[in-house]
Amino acid sequence: MVKFTRLALAVLSGLFAAPVVAEEVPILKIYTYDGFAAEWGPGPALKAGFEAICGGCIVEWIAADSSIGTLRRVQLEGDTTEADIIVGLDTAIAGEARATGLFAEHGLDLAGLNLPQAWTDTQFVPFDYAHFAFVYDEDSVSAPPKSFQELIALPEDFKIAIQDPRSATPGLGLVLWIAAAYGDRAPEIWAGLKPHILTVTREWSESYSLFLEGEADMALSYSSSPAYHIIADKDDTIHAALFSEGHLAQTEVAGILKSSDHQELAKKFLAYLTSVDGQKIIPTTNWMFPVIDLGAGLDPTYATLPQPEKTLVLTDEEIAANSQRWIDEMLAAVQ
Amino acid sequence: MLTLPHRPIRIMAASILALAITTLIALVLWAILAAASGSDSGSRIDIPHLLRMTSIQAGLTTILSISVGAALAWALNRLRFPGRDLLVGLFASAIVTPGMVVAFGLLSIWGRNGWINQASQSLFGFSLGNPAFGLSGILFAHVVLDGAFAARIMLARLDAIPTSRLKTGQSLGLSPWQRFAILDWPALRSTVPGLAAIIFLLAFTSFPIVLLLGGGPANQTLEVAIYAAVRQDFDLVGAVLLAATQIAVCSLVILAASALAPIPTSFGPSTPPRWRDRGAARLLQGLVLLICTVGFLLPLLSVLIDGIGAGMVRVAAQPAFWWATGSSLVIGSTSALLTLLLALLLALGRGATGSGVLRTLLGMPAFAYLAVPAVVLSLGFFLLVRHLGLAPATAAPFVVILGNSLLALPFAMATLGPPLEAIARTRGKLIRSLGLSGWRQFVLVEYPLLGRDIGVMLALAFCFSLGDLGVIALFGTQDFQTLPLLMFRALGSYRNNDAAAIAAILLIGTIAAFVGLPKLFERIANAAR
Repeated sequence: MVKFTRLALAVLSGLFAAPVVAEEVPILKIYTYDGFAAEWGPGPALKAGFEAICGGCIVEWIAADSSIGTLRRVQLEGDTTEADIIVGLDTAIAGEARATGLFAEHGLDLAGLNLPQAWTDTQFVPFDYAHFAFVYDEDSVSAPPKSFQELIALPEDFKIAIQDPRSATPGLGLVLWIAAAYGDRAPEIWAGLKPHILTVTREWSESYSLFLEGEADMALSYSSSPAYHIIADKDDTIHAALFSEGHLAQTEVAGILKSSDHQELAKKFLAYLTSVDGQKIIPTTNWMFPVIDLGAGLDPTYATLPQPEKTLVLTDEEIAANSQRWIDEMLAAVQ
Repeated sequence: MLTLPHRPIRIMAASILALAITTLIALVLWAILAAASGSDSGSRIDIPHLLRMTSIQAGLTTILSISVGAALAWALNRLRFPGRDLLVGLFASAIVTPGMVVAFGLLSIWGRNGWINQASQSLFGFSLGNPAFGLSGILFAHVVLDGAFAARIMLARLDAIPTSRLKTGQSLGLSPWQRFAILDWPALRSTVPGLAAIIFLLAFTSFPIVLLLGGGPANQTLEVAIYAAVRQDFDLVGAVLLAATQIAVCSLVILAASALAPIPTSFGPSTPPRWRDRGAARLLQGLVLLICTVGFLLPLLSVLIDGIGAGMVRVAAQPAFWWATGSSLVIGSTSALLTLLLALLLALGRGATGSGVLRTLLGMPAFAYLAVPAVVLSLGFFLLVRHLGLAPATAAPFVVILGNSLLALPFAMATLGPPLEAIARTRGKLIRSLGLSGWRQFVLVEYPLLGRDIGVMLALAFCFSLGDLGVIALFGTQDFQTLPLLMFRALGSYRNNDAAAIAAILLIGTIAAFVGLPKLFERIANAAR
């Protein structure tokens, strides 16, 4: 409806201002997932911040229901897509996104990033990360498990809520995490976890709600999740359980579409996204770690969050070659 | 069937509409197939297993919901007490509340940390564990959603039994059982095929609830496999094949429901009956009402209680909330009116024909939208919009309105179909002897008798649209959002308090619509006479 009004206004003003050739304002259209573009998400502040420095451009967020939804939309639209940038893919689907051939080189120097592992990707620019982790509430779980083995050994009434790897990126993340940690023994781990799985939800939000409502003892989430509760809710009883096997990180990335008419502007936006000003917005809106060292610019709460000692790594190739099999193994084991 | 007035225009209009809906669904599937560039569909899904599990679950849901619904409608029809209208509105609101909201409401009563477990813990010192998960959890959630809806439709039929019949029955001294068998059952029977089909389809295609409460991949519906094919594998050919399987199975159910002829019943204006049952029957009615109130209403009540808290102020302070409310209201009203138009066209056409085959053909398209998976529809609409050369953002409101109308259509048909057909059959002779034209037949005879049903139908369609998330998935923009979308965005960003507040607001709006609209339309329709 708003679009209509805008269109009507544009047509009307066009009629009246016909003799003057209007200077065209470049519009940067960015596809993202809905939580990112939400009023309380990073979207509005990033828009305002970039529009202030780009010298007369407009940022327009176009929010699909999930990050994979943005990729699918671009795949369907092919090179006729109106998107200039996608923000919010993650490293688990970056390989698939790359294979579409729709993304351009970002051309940025990313040597100074502060990430669990060095960044060499020439198409995708990371803008936040956190490790996948199970969260628990110290009021109800006094001795959290310190590994998958310990979790499996707990009594069966200790329940976890996880997500379906076919519909939620953290769900896929858990499958990859266990595969990275245990390799061919992953099916064993899944079979051991089965009695503890309260349920497998479609989205992260449903699992997390089950955990907050006290239905599950732990939910699959992120090592940064406690920050939200400490900063926004003034509740410091929620923690991420650290596992001795090590953790896999989810790194969220952004990429420029080859078909975009605003390549330079898009690169500028990605540079802004990874700059101090852009990164300062992320931790308290998207509740993930920034990818550069913000020093005093980072809410001090983040420094208090315990970090995994070991970060597990899977390459794009490993993920592309095996993720289907790993998902099938997981489904077969928990069925 | 010779008594049916000759109404070729009605039949033609209904036929054209039925054809249009069928074409739309075919176009949606075609658009997806056209977009799939020769991808191979190495489907790894055990379809027979899925079909078996889903059918058992959906069958049980249907039987339970219809039985519970009939019992509840029976009790509500007999009992008069303060706050009855509010209670009826509350019952009806379950079906249109987003499934996730109901599921979480259920958990806050029956869950491990729910009211009942907490009471048991503090009184007897033991926990019941997780009773709300597994097949029983799925069934429970579905019966709360669908049983109350069945009760609402059945109650409307019972309330519409003419006073003259009740008076005759009373003077004959019918026992409560005879009264049910002779007066109530014929009125209820006509609603059963349509209701059963709707409930079966809802349960058959239910996805987030099954996944949330079912425990995992062992309890699944075909819909999950289709979602995975579209989303995870991006296997569009496979998705269309799976969707076709689902449509085929659902069509059998729809065919059975559409083929069953409705039973003629006469209808009069609804007035509160003065004839109460006595003794054991009355006690039973009270018991049914009590159990249903506890079972159905406590979860909804907990949604309200959770929502009226810290989140409410924060939510009301967001401009986005008011934008979303405005969009939801506009979309809800528009799609409710469109649904009314579509349902009337189809139902009037169905009522006007004596041919069994044509009746079935005109009845089936109404259900089409329930049989096609939401993710497939969203994708198909998206591709169609692009084929038409429109920007998705421009098309979004129209697609959502159309989608919501089609989604509400089977419910609208279940509400309006039986009374309309009953009128055509029982008043056909009168209409023919008066020589009324089709238009005057509608204005003078059908519309005044339908007033309350139209109100119920509009409330259903409005609230469906108010709570729907279906087709918006690929059409989202920064500017266009509805209340449920806002709620899920809040849930996806840790803001559970905000989400709870929006859920409570949605529920209040729904209840208000269900209490207000039927009354309003009964008054308007009666005033017009």
